[in-house]
Order: sequence, then C-alpha cells, then structure tokens
Amino acid sequence: MKKLLEISLGVVTSVGGFLEVGSLATAAQAGALFHFQLVWAILLGTICIIFLVEMAGRFAAVSEHTIADGIRERFGFNAFLWPLVSTLLVNFLVLSAEIGGVSIAAELASGIGFQWWALPVAFIAWLLLWKGTFGLIEKGVSLLGLVTLCFVVAAVILKPDWTRVAVSAVPSLPHHDTATYWFMAVSILGASISPYLFMFYSAGAIEDKWDKSYLGINRAIAGLGMSFGGTISIAVLIVAALVLGANGITQVDDYHQLPLMLTPVFGFWGFVLFVASLGIACFGATVEIALQQAYLVAQGFGWNWGEDRKPREDPGFTMLYTVTIFAAAIPIALGLDPLKLTIFSMALTAASLPLAVVPFLFLLNDRSYMGEHRNGVISNAAVLFIIALGFILAVVTIPLQIFGGG
Amino acid sequence: MHMIRDVLDKQVVDRNQVKIGKVDGIVAQLRQGKPPRVIAVEIGSIALARRLGPLPGRWMVILVAKLGGERHAKPHRVAWSKVRDIGLDIEIDVDVRKTAIFGWQDWLRDHIVGRIPGA
Repeated sequence: MKKLLEISLGVVTSVGGFLEVGSLATAAQAGALFHFQLVWAILLGTICIIFLVEMAGRFAAVSEHTIADGIRERFGFNAFLWPLVSTLLVNFLVLSAEIGGVSIAAELASGIGFQWWALPVAFIAWLLLWKGTFGLIEKGVSLLGLVTLCFVVAAVILKPDWTRVAVSAVPSLPHHDTATYWFMAVSILGASISPYLFMFYSAGAIEDKWDKSYLGINRAIAGLGMSFGGTISIAVLIVAALVLGANGITQVDDYHQLPLMLTPVFGFWGFVLFVASLGIACFGATVEIALQQAYLVAQGFGWNWGEDRKPREDPGFTMLYTVTIFAAAIPIALGLDPLKLTIFSMALTAASLPLAVVPFLFLLNDRSYMGEHRNGVISNAAVLFIIALGFILAVVTIPLQIFGGG
Repeated sequence: MHMIRDVLDKQVVDRNQVKIGKVDGIVAQLRQGKPPRVIAVEIGSIALARRLGPLPGRWMVILVAKLGGERHAKPHRVAWSKVRDIGLDIEIDVDVRKTAIFGWQDWLRDHIVGRIPGA
C-alpha cells in the first residue's frame, strides 16, 4: 500500500516535471503546422527519456551518488568541465524561457505586459526554494501540475481521427515546409529529452533517500510518469492541430494565439485552464531548473547540498540558486520574446545531448558504482541509440535553425 | 590501488560525513632511489585551476589572494595520513570546521546568506 502511494506520488511528480514551456510550445507549433504528423517525435522522445530517467534513478539508488557526481568522479575534472559548462548554459536559457512562460500566463491573466512579471515570478520561485523543503516543491507544485490534464480531456472531446493519430506514430516525410518540419522534430526531441530532467531526478532520489529497495518503484515511476507526460504533450499537439490548424492558424509565432486552443472546447473556462496550465507547469519547471543548476555545481565540486537544509547550513548551494534564478529573469524583464527563446533553447538542448548522455554508457556499466545492478543489453542498446540520435541532432540543429527556425 | 582511478576526483567527506569537496589534486614526494610517496591530497579552486594548465593556476592564485587574503593563496592540503577509508568516497579524519576549506562558505554565510530573513 505504501509502495502504491509512493509510485502514484512519483508518477504525478514526473508528469509535473515533464510538461513545461518547451513541450507545450513545440507540441502546439507542430500540431498547428503539420497536423498529427509529428506525433512520432513526441513518442520517440518519451521512450528515450523513460530509459534515461530509469537509469538516473537506478544509479542514484544503488550508488547513492547523482549522475553529476558520477561524471566528475569517473571522468575527472577536465572532462567534467564540458558537460558542466554546456548544461549550465543550456539550462540557463531554458530557465529563462520557463520564467517567460509563467510571465506570459501572468500577462494573459492580468493584461500587464510579461516583462513586468519576470522579477516577481523569480522572487516567488526563489522564496519557495528559500523556505520550502524538497518534498513540498516536488509534491506540492507537481500536484497542481495535474491541471494540464485538461489538454487530454480536450483532445478526447474534440474526437480526433484516432487511426490517423496512431498512423503518425511512425515517422513520415513532410509534404511541405521540409526544413521547418525537421527543425520542429529536433525541438520536440530537445523538449522531451531534457538533461535537467534526468539529472534532477537523480538528485531527487538522493534527497528522498532512495536505496536499493526503491529499484522497482523507480522503474514504475520512470515508465508511467514519463508516459503520462508524453501523453499530455501528444494531447497538446492534437488540440493544436484540430483547433489552431483547422482555423487557419498554422504559424504559432505569437503566444497570444495559444489560449485560443482550449476555448472552443471549454469556452471561457478554456482560457482560464490554459493560463493555469501554462503558469503552473512553467513555475514548477522554473523551481526545478534553478535547483538543478545549484545541484550540478555543488555535486560537481563536492560541496554539501540539499534543499531540506536551512540556507545558512549550505551557503554556497543557496547562493547558486539565488543568483541563477534572478539572473535568468533578466532577459525576460528586458523584453526578450519568451516563445522565440523557448524554441531556440529547445533546439540547443537537443544539440547538447551527446555531452550529457555519453557518460551514462560508462557510469551505468561501472561495477564499483552499480555492482550487480549494471545495465543489461536492452538498456545499453537504448543508451547507444540515444547517443547516436544525440550526435545526429547535434550536427543538424544549427543548419536547421538557420533554414527552418526562422 | 590506482591513485588516479580510485582517489583523484572522488568525493571527500570529513569525520562528521560532511561533504567538503572532491580530491582536486594529489601531492607526491619524489625520493632519491625510492618510489615516490603520496603525502597529501589537495582540495579547492587553486588545485583545480592548476589541472587546466599553469596559466589558469596562476590566475586563480591571484584571484583567491585578492578575495580571501594571502593565507588562501595556497591549495588546501590534507595529509595522506588523515585518510581513513577509500571507497566510493574518501573519508578523512578531519573536522572541516577546523580547516580553512570552507572559509568562503563561512564568509557567504556571515555576509550575505545570514542577513537575508529566514536563513
């Protein structure tokens, strides 16, 4: 019974972690322009992230070290610098985009321009980190994230042609806007396979004091949680296809178009639900990414860290998330378009994947960390596949950004 | 035991299980006619910067001396004889509060973090 509760809580949390401004925006854009055709990209990204999250959790539960710890310890400082710098940079842009997402939700709700909301949003997120515990952040924010299920309800009410949705699970070539199609596929993969997600998950496993008895729970949470998250993303794509695309809005380049997605289904409440979904999902991601930046540095350099401690016990760790969160709010406060930043940072995430994923191949097969719980054939095949995918994405992202991102 | 594989970059915990850093450097003494002997491990930004090259090392010494004063201008060393256990983590028989390793954390606590309400 306790296990069941733990699994369902974990699933809810990972749904909250999965859906954020990146997956919302990329799924909406893809649905509007290419109807159901890019469902496969969300599906592929979800399967990849299931494997990575399971491994990150297993690594933490067995070795009581996080993935960031492992990279530094196993590969040495000079090698660690590369994933450290690239992840910090990409996460910073994503964090900025998430703060932008919450700010847009606040603008839609209040009518006051989004740039005025960036600093207040950063302050509230910081206050939660300053005063809150890991459990409060993990469970509280994610529980609220269940509001995003409204997209699934909307998708079902809209009665899509489910056979066509299913057919789109297999990749197919585009009939128009070829470069844009592939650029969107890359952005969707970047939004689904976020390094912050599995790194945060492994840090969370340590915060929640997981040990080997959690391996089953870990597998269930990774599988179910990420699947639910992927399902909501696909629902967003379906709704965008049937509402935006069908009404002639094929280019989602202004966030003011987005709340229209839910109004044909729920009327005025559709607007409210959209604003709530955007605000809560992005706020949860804001808190998690700011925390992950602090985790990454503290773990890489071996300082004490932990969200359950009082700030004065871990001054270095505390200052890291404080500086990060306010710095990331600055570009939005200066009026940088959050939607453009989101799409750009998702593509960059995809390009940075090899650096974050290659270490999995070594860490998860290292006997000194994993003992008998090392990767099996299937997990290793999955890692190799994701690494190959990561390299392809890294090579094609920049040219696609130029030709298809405009 | 392989010093590079099993010691360098591993997590260091003090006597009270406080995480005080990673093994950022290893100090060995060369002896005439005998194999070199490991005498200490180094922790901290200067040891790390030196691993990137002599130039970053020198810059870090200047930076740290500016910020923390001359007494911080050398890497923190823990004598090898203090090493208690070498596993996934390196356990040392030292209380971090009696060293200067967390000097900068103490400074942050006293001057910034501690002054914000609720810390």
